[in-house]
Amino acid sequence: DVLQWPQISKCRSPEMETFSCFWTAGNFYNLTVPRILQLLYKKSNEEDWKECPDYITSGQNSCYFNASYTSVWTPYCVQLASKNEVYDKKCFSVDEIVLPDPPVHLNWTLLNTSQTGIHGDIQVRWDPPPTADVRKGWITLEYELQYKEVNETKWKELKPRLSTMAPLYSLKTARDYEIRIRSRQRTSEKFGEFSEILYVSFSQIGIGCDHCTEEVEFPWFLVVVFGVCGLAVTVISIMLSKQPRLKMLIFPPVPVPKIKGIDPDLLKKGKLDEVNSILACHDNYKTQLYSDDLWVEFIELDIEDPDEKNRASDTDKLLGEDHLKSQSCLGGKDDDSGRASCCEPDIPETDFSASDTCDATSDSDQFKKATEKEEDLLCLDRQDNDESLPSLVNTDPLHRHRNIQPENSHLWAPFGDSTESPRPSVHIQISNQNSLTSTDFYAQVSDITPAGRVVLSPGQKSKLGRAQRESCTEQNFTMDNTYFCEADVKKCIAVTSHEENEPRIQEQGYNEDGYFTTESLTTTVANLGTSTAAPPSSEMPVADYTSIHIVQSPQGLVLNATALPVPDKEFNVSCGYVSTDQLNKIMP
Amino acid sequence: GLLMVAFLVSHMLLTKEGVTSLPICPKGSVNCQLSLEELFDRAVKLSHYIHFLSSEMFNEFDERYAQGRGFIAKAVNSCHTASLTTPEDKEQAQQIHHEDLLNLILGVLRSWNDPLIHLVSEVQRIKEAPETILWKAVEIEEQNKRLLEGMEKIVGRIHSGEVENDIYTPWEGLPSLQLADEDSRLFAFYNLLHCLRRDSHKIDNYLKVLKCRLIHDNNC
Repeated sequence: DVLQWPQISKCRSPEMETFSCFWTAGNFYNLTVPRILQLLYKKSNEEDWKECPDYITSGQNSCYFNASYTSVWTPYCVQLASKNEVYDKKCFSVDEIVLPDPPVHLNWTLLNTSQTGIHGDIQVRWDPPPTADVRKGWITLEYELQYKEVNETKWKELKPRLSTMAPLYSLKTARDYEIRIRSRQRTSEKFGEFSEILYVSFSQIGIGCDHCTEEVEFPWFLVVVFGVCGLAVTVISIMLSKQPRLKMLIFPPVPVPKIKGIDPDLLKKGKLDEVNSILACHDNYKTQLYSDDLWVEFIELDIEDPDEKNRASDTDKLLGEDHLKSQSCLGGKDDDSGRASCCEPDIPETDFSASDTCDATSDSDQFKKATEKEEDLLCLDRQDNDESLPSLVNTDPLHRHRNIQPENSHLWAPFGDSTESPRPSVHIQISNQNSLTSTDFYAQVSDITPAGRVVLSPGQKSKLGRAQRESCTEQNFTMDNTYFCEADVKKCIAVTSHEENEPRIQEQGYNEDGYFTTESLTTTVANLGTSTAAPPSSEMPVADYTSIHIVQSPQGLVLNATALPVPDKEFNVSCGYVSTDQLNKIMP
Repeated sequence: GLLMVAFLVSHMLLTKEGVTSLPICPKGSVNCQLSLEELFDRAVKLSHYIHFLSSEMFNEFDERYAQGRGFIAKAVNSCHTASLTTPEDKEQAQQIHHEDLLNLILGVLRSWNDPLIHLVSEVQRIKEAPETILWKAVEIEEQNKRLLEGMEKIVGRIHSGEVENDIYTPWEGLPSLQLADEDSRLFAFYNLLHCLRRDSHKIDNYLKVLKCRLIHDNNC
């Protein structure tokens, strides 16, 4: 048994005119003897504790304060004490402890029934508790009604209301109901006790129907099924509808990645070239993303300025020459993508090559400066620039070439001066080209159409003359080098074909949209070589490039000529490369 | 649409508390006079609303700041309006003359003007005062002014003679609200809110008694 002290359980005023306090005696010691415990009270403005005026009216262990002892808004303190000690104390004011009595005189009347007679409405009425003086407005009460079916456990509540009547709607006439009401002072939180229960039975007034027992429950299942079907039909119809606005409203399009400045329609229509040109100025541009032709990426696209075409040969880059990296345009770019005119129009280093080509001695000097590696690569061992020029059998083309050369060099002289010194390799290249030892593996781009399409030139044959140094018979098509020296081959046919090439020289000298770089020279040579490699014909397509089969750094490249099907006999397998046109024929 | 919903909701809430002002006098009318019944109805609604707010505010303050501080034991204090001899039970309320009761009501309302203004400003300085308490303080202060105006109108209607303005107790509790010691300061707030709840209950009751007595002839 837990020891329990005597304590004041509650103090309550039913009508704000009287109040009572109740306590429990506890089991501490034998307190069954009456009057051991006393309840003392004190108003806030008094000094002495007074004893409870009425121990009886409110029952056992209670103290009742009638109206004369009650001051509503005055703070009281009561304490439960025996002679020696105080067990409990409470302080309050009467307006805080108001708990009204329950309402009385509950009754109900029928308002109406439904047409089927299954449901009915009733009106419940009651009277306020008799103790509460509501009429004079001393206390304002509000009521809460609760009802339930007889065999249910949970009560349903109505909202508290001030009036003493409440309607109940849609009660089932086949069932019996229980109703109870409680009240509270309007600004309080606590309710008083519940009233007695009121029983509602429709059958008593002869309305309950026996055959109304079936319950029409809400057809949830049907609602769900039809709802789902309707929703599916709506969705399908929206998706299939041709109205784009509605479709976009319901199914907004998923945003696709966009590149600034690029119209995705261009991509859709397949106009990759236009996109290429748009993106050409972006640093991160890589033509390989859009280009059909992988070769294009190794080609410098120089649309604007023909003078800018004088760049170091990509061959050199491919062959891994480090010193070429110092070249501003090419060297700085490691990814070899085809950047067009966005490259700064650097002083075309290769201009010197052209200008230097006029000067055989300088070529030879530069030639000697070349590394062994380069020499090997560029077939320098076999050829001598110094020898090449004067050894040309047919001086005419050479002469012409020479004639042209100075002109070209005039064109390039301004550049030449400035770019003289740091480009020894280029010169070497040029010299190599002069000696027809260097060959380029790629086509010379002659033009970029406005549409962005790369036009590969048939090549330049202006260097043809230089290529003619030795007779064909002296050529050793050594396979030691990984590529054929076009020059070797070209020499054979140079004589025969340079006639044709002459007119081309001029036009290539001036009209070439391609670049007059070492590469162009090389390609010219290459073209020359290619064309000469093939049986001479007026329709000789000029080889612009060859596919690289293997890159055997640093020795060179194996050109993949043999792997390609030869559409006609123009193609000389032994040369190891294919002309662009041939290639184009081969590869549609 | 959103504004409409907000307006409706606020209207509903206000009607629930009983402070909707339904303009019976159309705008622009010069001699329109509300009936005494209408005036009393509005006054009772206001007083009920004020008591409701102060009761809630006290409960919130009690919950948040007074727990464990033993304030309740000390709450047997006197409010500054205790000097006004207001009826303490129903009998006294029924016996007092209605004009005297009205004047007393006015006195209590006037006496609370000043404390409410300071309550609004000082309660904001309580550390981490909840927004609800702040809002209620502001609202009570505002509604109290409105009730005072309404009561003066009623008194002007009923009492044809001069309206006595001398029933008034000054409030000197401002220093206690600004004490440095937090416990003492919070206790001062507790007492003030307790007194506010009590006095607003008094006024609400007196007005209902008066309304039933004057308008409905003791038959509410």
